[in-house]
Amino acid sequence: MFRILSKSLKTGVVTEKDPFSSRPPFGFPVIDFNSCTACDECVAVCPTAALQTDRPAADRKTLSLSYALCIQCRECVEACPERAIHPGREFEVATHSREQLMQRGSFVVDPATGRASFRGMDARPGPSLEESAARLKERIKGRLGRSLHVRQVDAGSCNGCELEIIATANPVFDLERFGIHFVASPRHADVLLVTGPVTRNMEIALRRTYEAAPEPRVVVAVGACGCSGGIFGEGTYASLGGVDRVVPVDVYVPGCPPRPHAILNGLLVAMGIHQARSGPGGAELAPQPVGASPPSPHRPLMPVLARGTPE
Amino acid sequence: MTAARDVLRGRLGLPELAELRPGEFAAEVKREQLPAVADQAAGAGLRLATLFATDDGPAKGCALHHLWAAREPPGFVRIWTRVPADSPRFPSIAAKYPVANWFEREVMDYFGLVPEGHPNTFRVALHDDWPDGFPALRKAFADEQKVPRVPGNNPHPFRPVLGEGVFQVPVGPVHAGIIEPGHFRFGVAGEPVLYLQLRLFYVHKGIEKRFEKLPWRHGLFLAESISGDTAVGHALAYAHAVERLTGVEVPRRARYLRTVLLELERLYNHVADIGAIATDVAFAVPASRAQVLREGLVAIQERLFGARLLRGTVALGGVKCELTLGRRNELLVHLDRLGREFDDLVKLLIDSGTFTDRVDGTGVLGTQAARDLGVVGIAARASGLDLDLRRDQPHDAYASLRFQVPVEEGGDVRARLMVRAREVEQSLSILRQALEGLPEGPSFTPLPDALPASSSALGWAEAWRGECLHWVQTDEEGRVARVKVTDPSFKNWPGLGRAVPGNILPDFPVINKSFNLSYSGNDR
Repeated sequence: MFRILSKSLKTGVVTEKDPFSSRPPFGFPVIDFNSCTACDECVAVCPTAALQTDRPAADRKTLSLSYALCIQCRECVEACPERAIHPGREFEVATHSREQLMQRGSFVVDPATGRASFRGMDARPGPSLEESAARLKERIKGRLGRSLHVRQVDAGSCNGCELEIIATANPVFDLERFGIHFVASPRHADVLLVTGPVTRNMEIALRRTYEAAPEPRVVVAVGACGCSGGIFGEGTYASLGGVDRVVPVDVYVPGCPPRPHAILNGLLVAMGIHQARSGPGGAELAPQPVGASPPSPHRPLMPVLARGTPE
Repeated sequence: MTAARDVLRGRLGLPELAELRPGEFAAEVKREQLPAVADQAAGAGLRLATLFATDDGPAKGCALHHLWAAREPPGFVRIWTRVPADSPRFPSIAAKYPVANWFEREVMDYFGLVPEGHPNTFRVALHDDWPDGFPALRKAFADEQKVPRVPGNNPHPFRPVLGEGVFQVPVGPVHAGIIEPGHFRFGVAGEPVLYLQLRLFYVHKGIEKRFEKLPWRHGLFLAESISGDTAVGHALAYAHAVERLTGVEVPRRARYLRTVLLELERLYNHVADIGAIATDVAFAVPASRAQVLREGLVAIQERLFGARLLRGTVALGGVKCELTLGRRNELLVHLDRLGREFDDLVKLLIDSGTFTDRVDGTGVLGTQAARDLGVVGIAARASGLDLDLRRDQPHDAYASLRFQVPVEEGGDVRARLMVRAREVEQSLSILRQALEGLPEGPSFTPLPDALPASSSALGWAEAWRGECLHWVQTDEEGRVARVKVTDPSFKNWPGLGRAVPGNILPDFPVINKSFNLSYSGNDR
């Protein structure tokens, strides 16, 4: 007993004062489109087809990057001959739709040389990506507004996301100080924190869990697989893909796995949605219906012969 | 090397045994000979490491493979046989060797081959509403298709319980805590558990099929996602298989760094598990301490290697991370402090009577049962089985490092806790040796552009939970034709089913935690 007491006194407080102060050495890749020549080297090495090129016309080309699919493997950073992809340090990413996680640059192709030059952005990442830091501070300020009860549902994950979700409750991050609690039953839950990809064998269980949660309920999809199916693909015999293929999703938290900070951020965003939806007229703040986002692109089924040179 | 081959050939009573590469042997036998060869292998002290099927196309048909692990001389022996299309069946060895039970039923589920003489031919991997006749791992089965649901097609037979005060407790697939999904059916008489039936494969993601569809370089990332807590273990097993297939020699520095990564993964998992065992007996102080130690480890992993759970650190042909002298010293200092704190933590636990009262004699898995079920890793070593591939068939830098393999005899929660605690000490010593003796040089050997055609290789790694095995086969054009992934959990789940009966239901969480098996690795 004495030893336990003295240990606790000696240890003191280990909880991080500001859980968003630490930055990872590598968050999501960031493309410097002005240096990019749309050469496709990064597309060839991307294991989840998060990077895609398209040729809408003979003299036009697009390069898109979806954080929903990105597993943060850093292959593209190393493969880029122009060094146009940087290891970004952004991590507290949480958006309301899959599209907001997508950015797309448009290029003009010179027919004589075949060289592509950047023209402009077709799509930019969603607002919460850029304003997340500002939003966060607001949320933390208002954190005593109410408490949030969270039911975690593993709908097919590899357990990586679960490890990081468990970490949010450890003494260092201590999500209980924000009024967030993990509960044992969906009937007690305001928020379902769902990891994916949703497997065929978990589809029914996930749907039932969703139906068991009382309204208003908020669904947070966690991880690349929960957002898009990730490396396991979308629409295979075993993996249905992202959580939004089965239940409506309010918040997307990408990453493989997302850091505990990012999960906390996603939960704070969910808290905001839950507060708004509990108020007057809140029922109108509905998430996108199931299947609204376009399915994840499927990679052509071919072996990559050498680094960056597909057949 | 041929001496080893001749010894093994003699022990197995085989006319021919090919040595594919050091430590890897193969022989084709007639289908009806499989049980006799299995008897020979088991009699000679080999253990069945994995069992799987392959579909080699319409011309050749399927094949069934038994992979046996020999300790002395060290090696893996693959005994395989053809299963022609007009006779889709093979002789079962499960009645005699229970380790084959789930493996053979999985072959039945995913390949549609019938294990003849199997004592229990119910589905193990496929769920009730999967229709008959959709063997997912056959080549004719398209990966991207929606298989219709047929509710109640093949109801899982749960054992009935009868009598006064005797009833069933169903748990899952969605559990109360933050853990993976699976269904447990307990038969209980009051609090004591009469039996435990496991219904898993809720998180079957089609990983083995996915390997066949992804470019082989990308298979590494899929391997990292087989079980989130064993990213390094599975990545190494896959990388070893590909490197053996291509004949690429990994540079010494990379082998040392891989050892560092694998031991760090062992450390953070063992520390977390010890804390989780304390949580499950409501001993909050050491539980919190362990969480803080674990968080310190993953935080330094992120700072040094770029990923908290060490993803993206292993590369095919080497490693993708660097460790400068300054960072190496930083890690050494951190590990020294961790070692001291960890000793305090373990003392706090085992000096507490209220704690040992809960873990001593709880969830016993006997040595014979563990051996019969083919249990591996920490669970095996806690049940008196002296198995560790790091010592028995060393990979990476383990052959040049000194360490002991802790073995406990009790087979209970306490033994599994103590194996972890003693392994942490060994890991710290291995890490110190590997970091201080870190050789200079390249950390990467480039791989050839293509895999050799019509070839196969086995990769293995002793990860924190137990041995991870990846068997990679290529077709005539050098594409990946089959990857068989064997996670230690697949062999250890039946061990849990055996350890729980006789205990009280409230002790189930702590017994389960002491095994800490992967659902995802098991279901794939």
